[in-house]
Amino acid sequence: MSARDWHVADDDLRAYADGAAQPPWLWSTETHLAACPRCRQRLAEHVDPAAVRAGWARLDAELDAPRPGPVEALLVRLGLPAHTARLLACTPALRRSWLTAVGFALAVTTAAAHLARSNTVPIPLLAIAPLLPLIGVAISFGPRVDPSYELAVVAPLHTFRLLLLRCAAVLSATTALTGVASLAMPEYSPVVLGWLAPSLALTLLSLALTPRFGPVTAALAVGFGWLALLGATVHVTTGESVLFTAPGQAGLAAIAAAAAMALWKVRAAFDTNHHLGRTADPTTRRTT
Amino acid sequence: MTTVQAEGLSLRFGRTTALKDVSFALDDGVTGLLGPNGAGKTTLLRILATAIPADAGQLRILGADPRGAAGRLAVRRRLGYLPQNPGFHPHFTAFEFVDYIAILKEIVAGRHDEVRRVLHAVGLDDQRGKKIKALSGGMRQRVGLAAALLDDPALVILDEPTVGLDPEQRLRFRELIAHIGEGRTVLLSTHQTEDVATVCQRVIVLNQGRIPFEGEPVALAGVARGRVWTSPARADGALAAWRTGNGDYHNIGDPPPGARLVDPSIEDGYLMVIDAASLAGRAA
Repeated sequence: MSARDWHVADDDLRAYADGAAQPPWLWSTETHLAACPRCRQRLAEHVDPAAVRAGWARLDAELDAPRPGPVEALLVRLGLPAHTARLLACTPALRRSWLTAVGFALAVTTAAAHLARSNTVPIPLLAIAPLLPLIGVAISFGPRVDPSYELAVVAPLHTFRLLLLRCAAVLSATTALTGVASLAMPEYSPVVLGWLAPSLALTLLSLALTPRFGPVTAALAVGFGWLALLGATVHVTTGESVLFTAPGQAGLAAIAAAAAMALWKVRAAFDTNHHLGRTADPTTRRTT
Repeated sequence: MTTVQAEGLSLRFGRTTALKDVSFALDDGVTGLLGPNGAGKTTLLRILATAIPADAGQLRILGADPRGAAGRLAVRRRLGYLPQNPGFHPHFTAFEFVDYIAILKEIVAGRHDEVRRVLHAVGLDDQRGKKIKALSGGMRQRVGLAAALLDDPALVILDEPTVGLDPEQRLRFRELIAHIGEGRTVLLSTHQTEDVATVCQRVIVLNQGRIPFEGEPVALAGVARGRVWTSPARADGALAAWRTGNGDYHNIGDPPPGARLVDPSIEDGYLMVIDAASLAGRAA
């Protein structure tokens, strides 16, 4: 019997519309409806239009709701609220390309330490590791690196909060990767974790200087300052530096604490791009 | 209540004076901010959008003073802003970008419904799932406009939204802006007098950081009344002159005796109110 030889009875159509039809009759009805315009038209008479509209709206919402990318999905899985994960997913330093570059830099320093097979302090790792979050933060927020920076500044969400969120995400990601690199060093000792305090100190210091000099200049100044300080204190043959001793680490921690306080003091400066604009935003300098 | 009341706004970038003693008021409807490149339009819009503060002057936006954090927040909650170069995260779809801005605007309840509403308002229902990098310039501008319309703002600031659009897209965009201006205050920055003629109830001319004219578009055209004439050859002493389609010259300035005066356009009035140095540059 073809679809045109019979039609679904009214009671059965009503049951189908109410969701009360049971297999196998349900399957038979659905197959018939797919091929019979007349029964589809009759079915519409048994369906509440409001329910249909609500159904379409639900389907619509489901279809165009943002699909989280891998980073966003991971952040949600780690327990972050979906809207926070979305804000962080825009962070350039959480993109695959940046994380790959960080991983590559750490792999090279680790491989170099293995090839050297010496018992000296792993200076390349300790020198480079604090620069990674510093650069990551510098490329995560500002007029030159965030395409929606201007919209973010004038949005009700406090810009300083957005900045801290992204900094925390960048620090967490680079700390995790550098931690893995430290574990892979040939000689594991507490000194290989000597990058942790300078990482925090450099990042916070750079942020505290950002309202005065702009994000890129501040990061460059702090980064070169770190390398200069390291170059001045490192022992040529043993590779030891006072920076990676207990007093040195305490000093770096003190710098981090002071920078954190300074950053808190200047937090209001991030609420507009007034200072960033005058010193570091070329679009503002070109402003018409 | 007046939406924006500005008195004596001034701002300098180093040695450059971007704005000098600028005063004006904005009410409901579309106001055009007209001026040549480098006039200070974007700087003024950034001040009104609370992105940068003025060095001097008094400003009240929607009853709040944006110099303080609380006032800025109050303004930002009721503000829609489309910058000159709205940055789009390239991997976002239209829906995702507007959703991202909705999060920045702290829209919590019914956020996705609000995103759908504004995308519908700008006619992007069918494009909302497309990556922004795949959209045309006009559609991208509409995505930016949709983001500006989130949460039904009382003040909408649009910085040269019609730049780079083809004539049809520009026409559609003007229709949108005219529609948006019903029942709220819209400030539209442009250097195209056609934008002002078609959608603006008022116009502010900004030149070299100052406001030489503020009023209705008809009044702007009226500034050039009696000072526009046509002639078979370029008139000596005209501040600006260009050849029209019928071969005659359209002249602006002080007409010679017996000149064939014509009705001035908004563009004629605009050219009259900007300074003589600018006119000389354009005429050359």
